[in-house]
Amino acid sequence: MTTSSFIDFAALVMLAVVPYILASQGTMLAGRTGLFIVSQEGIMLVGASVGFLGAYLFDSLLVGVLLAMLVGGLMGLVLAYFTTTLKLDQFVVGLAVFFLGLGLSSLLFKVVIGVTLQPPIVPTLDAIPIPLLSRIPVLGPILFRQNILVYLSVLLSVALYLLLYKTGMGLALRSVGENPKAADSLGINVTRNRYVTAVIAGMLMALAGAYLPMVYTGTYTEGIVRGRGWLSIALTFFGGWTPHLILLGSFFFAGVEVLALRVQVTSIGIPHQFLRMLPYLATILVMIFAFRGVRPPAFLGQNYDRESRTSS
Amino acid sequence: MTEAIVLKRKRGPAAILQALVPYLLAVIAAFAAVGVLLALLGFDVLRAYSTILFTSFRTTNGFIQTLIKWTPLVLQALAFTIPLAAGKFNIGGEGQLIVGGIGAAAVGILLAGLPLPILLPSVLLAGTLFGALWVLGPAWLLYRFGINEILTTVLMNFVAFELIDFTATKIWPDPAAGHPTTVPIGEGGYLPLLLSHPPLHSGLLIAVLVAILVYFYTDHTSAGYELVATGANPRASSVYGVNVRRMFLLSLLLGGAIAGLSGAIEVAGVHHRLIEGMQSNFLLLGIIIGLIAKGNNLAVPFVALFIAILEVGASALQRTMMIPGEMVFIVEALILIFVLLSDVVRRR
Repeated sequence: MTTSSFIDFAALVMLAVVPYILASQGTMLAGRTGLFIVSQEGIMLVGASVGFLGAYLFDSLLVGVLLAMLVGGLMGLVLAYFTTTLKLDQFVVGLAVFFLGLGLSSLLFKVVIGVTLQPPIVPTLDAIPIPLLSRIPVLGPILFRQNILVYLSVLLSVALYLLLYKTGMGLALRSVGENPKAADSLGINVTRNRYVTAVIAGMLMALAGAYLPMVYTGTYTEGIVRGRGWLSIALTFFGGWTPHLILLGSFFFAGVEVLALRVQVTSIGIPHQFLRMLPYLATILVMIFAFRGVRPPAFLGQNYDRESRTSS
Repeated sequence: MTEAIVLKRKRGPAAILQALVPYLLAVIAAFAAVGVLLALLGFDVLRAYSTILFTSFRTTNGFIQTLIKWTPLVLQALAFTIPLAAGKFNIGGEGQLIVGGIGAAAVGILLAGLPLPILLPSVLLAGTLFGALWVLGPAWLLYRFGINEILTTVLMNFVAFELIDFTATKIWPDPAAGHPTTVPIGEGGYLPLLLSHPPLHSGLLIAVLVAILVYFYTDHTSAGYELVATGANPRASSVYGVNVRRMFLLSLLLGGAIAGLSGAIEVAGVHHRLIEGMQSNFLLLGIIIGLIAKGNNLAVPFVALFIAILEVGASALQRTMMIPGEMVFIVEALILIFVLLSDVVRRR
């Protein structure tokens, strides 16, 4: 591989990493308070649809992003209400929200744009070269000539790490997902922690979805998310439910995606269908290893009822 | 958590009526919510709803279409509810349907010359086996390493999308078709028609039979009781000697087999070939049906019939009123959410 083709590849990976980071950090954050979200795919689709429509109608990518995050936050709120307040099964509610997202995303697009052969296009996010750093050979064009969300998603991961492991608030948050009863007895508000993380998670997932039309296609299509939402759950396990390892793991997931979806042109005799299977098969393989060493939050997937005697 | 899904049933007509009330309210609430949306968008709400609800009953063709839709829906729902009874989520019915269809088409194309009494059973059997095979990986990973089955089954769907594309464009492509499609299977593999005008294939009878068998298995046999007990309380079942992990494996394999069969029926009964996209949104609807029925296998066929009616109405809605079919999908998702809510109300 020549240097320039390596730079191209690595720069594409940096671009592809963003939705994985955002969706997985959201999954991780909510999981840390015990809420296991499985609606990523649906929330990302809504994010992609609303983000595109907002950007198109208001002629501003920023408005699109903000609207997408608003709707994503609402979906997170719904998840929190049904699981934490109404104490319904997290997987069932998660699937229901996934369905809702799936229907809403296409419906919104069809209602606003209609069925057209040539959908409108929004401009894609500009690369923002960082002065000086972007001039470094090889590393410069890979790391420092990217769009704003690439930088932000990396910074977010660092911030989440600091929040969870270096602040009292983070300790309280983690304790909710490990032992809500103990946390509750210490005066930590279990419900509020869960609501806040669920809403942030929904916003991050919707942002992850909104990123896709703004970077790749310029428009919304039904197949735009292509399982990235589901993959991000696997990535969260792969990263051991920790922000720093999720950041690292997302490079692996993005690398496989770029290999499978973007390198088809230079295919080496393998039918492209088999290349495109790679991300999913690789993820399943990776999970065999990821599931062994990883201990997810102890209370993951369960609802806390402070009046119950059995839940500890 | 899962014990909330597999509800104990009360017997008797009064109990049935009482059980139906929350469903009726959920349906009304969902229609009301979407009705507001439709009105805001400027559509004629009453006309839209009469299209959704009555298209199946206005013409013979509408009714036949509903039965044809019902067949894969009920099978997909059962492919979801059998593992659900054991407390596991099979979200891979779509991939299992596709790969079952590939198996059925492969046998139907390769052995095209065989007569019906041999070819048709082979086609259906191949579909069933391929469907079970497709879930074997996730089932084994769950059995051996305890890996979350939601993820692995759903990821296998995406692999299946590529596999059907490869089969329909590289192995047995039909160059005359404008869409990835295989050549037709041998006529011996066609499911016989129950009615010819409009055509109604006999896959319907297979689905009815499977639904009855599954109901008896889960609700009236001791093997099925082990399955349900596993879902209700895995720890207690294991104490009483049930091999819980083997029940997980078995339930997923059964689900995969039934989903595979639904793919074979689509090939042998509806299309007589493999068509990319033939899985439609059967998986999602199947899951919705299974969850609305709360895993009750006696209720599944009836919920599936209702959803089939809505789906036939949805396509009519798109044709005649230009209202996107997704509108009906949202109605269905909302019905599910309101049915879930009714449980909360009853708990209080």
